[in-house]
Amino acid sequence: MGEVEMSKVIISDVTLRDGSHALSHQLTEAHIVAYAKAADAAGVPIVEVGHGNGLGASSLQVGLSLLDDRKMLETARANLVHSRLGIHVIPGFATINKDLKFAFEYGVDVVRVASHCTEADITERHISYTREKGKEAYGVLAMSHMASKEVLLDEALKMQSYGAEAVILMDSAGAYIPIDVLEKVGHLSAHLKIPVGFHAHNNLGMAIANSVAAVEAGAQMIDGTARGFGAGAGNAQLEVIVAMFLRLGIETGIDLYKVLDAADIVEKEIMQNIPYISSVSLVSGMAGVFSGFAKHVTLAAKEYGVDPRDIFFELGARKVVGGEEDKIVEVAMELQKRKKQG
Amino acid sequence: MEKYLREMITSDCQEVIGSSPKALDKLRNRVVYVTGGTGFIGTWIAELVSYLNDTYNFGTQLFLLARDTNAFQDKVPHLAERSDIRLIRSDVRNIIDIPVEVNYIIHAAATPDNRQHMSNPLAVMESITKGTAMILDAATTLPNLYNIVNISSGQIYGQQCRDIGTITEDVAGTLPCNSITSVYPEAKRYAETLCCAYWSTFKLPVVTARPFAFIGPYQLLDKPWAINNFIRDALTGNTIRIISNGMPVRSYMYPSDMAYWLLRMLVDGKSGIAYNLGSQYGITLRDIAEKVKRCSDSTSEIVIKEMHQDDSVFVSDNSLVFSTLGLEIKVPIDKAVERSIRWFRERIKN
Amino acid sequence: MPEKPIKKLKVAILGSGNIGTDLLYKVLRSSWLECSMFIGRNLASKGISRALTLGVSVSDKGIQAIQDNPDCCDIVFDCTSALSHQIHAPILAALGIIAIDLTPAKLGPFCIPSINLDSCLDGVNVNMITCGGQASIPLAYVLGQTQKQVDYIEVVSTIASKSAGPGTRLNLDEYIETTEKGVQMFSGCSRSKAILNLNPAEPCINMQTTVYAQVPQLDLPALQKGIAIMVDKIRQYVPSYQLVIPPTYENNRVIMSVRVKGMGDFLPSYAGNLDIINCAAIAVAEKFAMAKVDGRG
Repeated sequence: MGEVEMSKVIISDVTLRDGSHALSHQLTEAHIVAYAKAADAAGVPIVEVGHGNGLGASSLQVGLSLLDDRKMLETARANLVHSRLGIHVIPGFATINKDLKFAFEYGVDVVRVASHCTEADITERHISYTREKGKEAYGVLAMSHMASKEVLLDEALKMQSYGAEAVILMDSAGAYIPIDVLEKVGHLSAHLKIPVGFHAHNNLGMAIANSVAAVEAGAQMIDGTARGFGAGAGNAQLEVIVAMFLRLGIETGIDLYKVLDAADIVEKEIMQNIPYISSVSLVSGMAGVFSGFAKHVTLAAKEYGVDPRDIFFELGARKVVGGEEDKIVEVAMELQKRKKQG
Repeated sequence: MEKYLREMITSDCQEVIGSSPKALDKLRNRVVYVTGGTGFIGTWIAELVSYLNDTYNFGTQLFLLARDTNAFQDKVPHLAERSDIRLIRSDVRNIIDIPVEVNYIIHAAATPDNRQHMSNPLAVMESITKGTAMILDAATTLPNLYNIVNISSGQIYGQQCRDIGTITEDVAGTLPCNSITSVYPEAKRYAETLCCAYWSTFKLPVVTARPFAFIGPYQLLDKPWAINNFIRDALTGNTIRIISNGMPVRSYMYPSDMAYWLLRMLVDGKSGIAYNLGSQYGITLRDIAEKVKRCSDSTSEIVIKEMHQDDSVFVSDNSLVFSTLGLEIKVPIDKAVERSIRWFRERIKN
Repeated sequence: MPEKPIKKLKVAILGSGNIGTDLLYKVLRSSWLECSMFIGRNLASKGISRALTLGVSVSDKGIQAIQDNPDCCDIVFDCTSALSHQIHAPILAALGIIAIDLTPAKLGPFCIPSINLDSCLDGVNVNMITCGGQASIPLAYVLGQTQKQVDYIEVVSTIASKSAGPGTRLNLDEYIETTEKGVQMFSGCSRSKAILNLNPAEPCINMQTTVYAQVPQLDLPALQKGIAIMVDKIRQYVPSYQLVIPPTYENNRVIMSVRVKGMGDFLPSYAGNLDIINCAAIAVAEKFAMAKVDGRG
């Protein structure tokens, strides 16, 4: 890839999707209306809406959604005039026939198809289908701290071949530090024909720094949530990123005051607590475990009378991936047994 | 299939054959065996040979080898039903014998769908390398074999840039062999070298054709190629998105030219020679998108995202095919796009 | 239990890939079955070479091999592809040969050996559903049998990345839909969801399947008893089918989880997902053999 002017970045706002984990997917209609309106007014380019694990992911495994997918999309669409409506889709959770097909009837513009960072070939069908429908398809590589830059490029090349118009590297565990970002985002930016994006989490306090590093390394898309709304230590704080890019002379097309207003709305009307790096979140990041497991781990720790930090380290040792919430229960039970046996 | 589409194809065949089919006379009463017989190339060879048989009594027999012959029957029943076309259901990797009466072989088995190259690289490489080996080996025992055309790929020329301009057959392209993106071109290069080895050892008559890009009937709109995407989006009223700066230069050959050139290479191609199979008329992605929009009367917006700098040029230099085989492009890009749109408009309806 | 028959039931294996080769080893070990032909499309394939060294007759003629010699077998294991099975099925039916379909063709009824093996014996074609299905449907069935009302059943399977080939990966949607259908059919519950995760960890993980349910008036003891019995039943033909989370009520849901380690006959032991279908298919064939001895077949 040749010289790219470091002057424009597309912000993908995942407040109403990744943020959902923080509320155990109990986002209400009022929440969606209030935030969608505010994000749209602020000029946020893409507003992603849905269950924390995306379309069709309302489940006993990850958590049941208060609103069903159609309701969420319908509500969001009605309140987004200029912003594009995006969804997150994980093959293995969502199927084309049952889930993706109808999403387009609700006015979805952007579909981000996600897989674990080594399993991109499961996204072929969903990406192709989205492109056939004329909508924007991006590929997402989740838990990307778990693979080398060479593997990530290989997987991203697959997504590119399927018709993905961008590949987003997710730091789903909040495990990256800036030098990792420079290396991985840089490698992909240099070898892909499509833009690279980055999605940060704050378990090690690096979300903003990582997002800035990503852009330095060539990323043209950055994810964030208002006030960092998200499970555990939360995501990259959207309004801080906007401010940061303002300082660095990077165009986002987002109005500073209005995005700050949007963050205030989330803080006052949607969040139950402002995310911070708790002991458990820190351990989660160190163990390299999916940050969306936070509430499940806390619950299981209480239920089985074990230390949540132990659960996280054990999950990390087992190299558990996103979508494997059932292992949390198994690990908690095992730790309980071990405790009883002294 | 709509009658007028079939008529369009017939007139396409008529156009490339021209006033006289003399140049293809060597095919009269001969047997041609096509691997990958039911794909894009195989189907067009079938159309052109059918035209020659119906219009000029060529009496040419076609054997089409494919893994899924039922799909051919569904796609083109008017061809599948013909008595001069025989379908053989087999994977090219399993071929031990080729019917003894075969005089010509077109080895077109292999998919240029780069999604498959990524998702199933092992099967793709095996199909190309082993498949080619099986065919060449079986061909060595044929008593009346006159020529084989090995369909390679223009991708073997590797990374090209604007400075070179169009690509001649003597360009030794560079391919990063330890990259997954080299799966298809590297396997094709190996196959070319294998053909060379068979020619050297057995004097097996083999020529190589290196296809560039094509647009026309019997292609599939879901293939993830730029022009296919543009047509699909233009016909469905969706935004035509170009991620790069729109400046990559490509060329597109219409398949009737492709089929005619292949048959000419088959009857007159010289062993050991590689021939480009593509159009020499380059056009930027930006311009082709505009052309597609105009030809389809589409309301689609064209958005050039400028998110990637791309100066690449992938255009065929046709000096060799012109000077040695007298081959020219009969269908200019405007007609190619126009006819393609007519075809795909019908396909999308169904 | 009938005595061991003097003459084993002849089976042919159609499809010489990894699944077929693993089945071959299982058939060779069986007291009820004998492999009369191992059929592929290429004599140079690894599977065929192996079969030859094991002293088994081979052919590269595909279904033609059976058409040329219809008395060679009573049962065919078809592990080719859905497309091919659609061609094979009517041919086998016409020859009066029973087809055990390990492809996603789904032409015949779904078969779960621990549940409906006997009723499948009346047919000419049985389908082995999916790996997640074989692991979870027996548990879903017990839910249906022991509980007054089951509102919803969810099945989550996690398999090693290495055990999911290109075919599986391209057809995840179909896997999900088939598994959900099977769960609904055998449990009697109309709402179901199937989820599949791939995990690339090394050393490779064994297949794990967790079943969740929403049961309004839960009778946990009955469920636990029923599950324990069912697990034992399954272990008769899948020896390392292990209950790792016994039926538990927590967090407003019923949860139970099983882990399947493969037998390692030919497929690696982490491919419990592939092994469980093969074991189930063998169980079906052996039941046919037993029934024949009984005079039913």
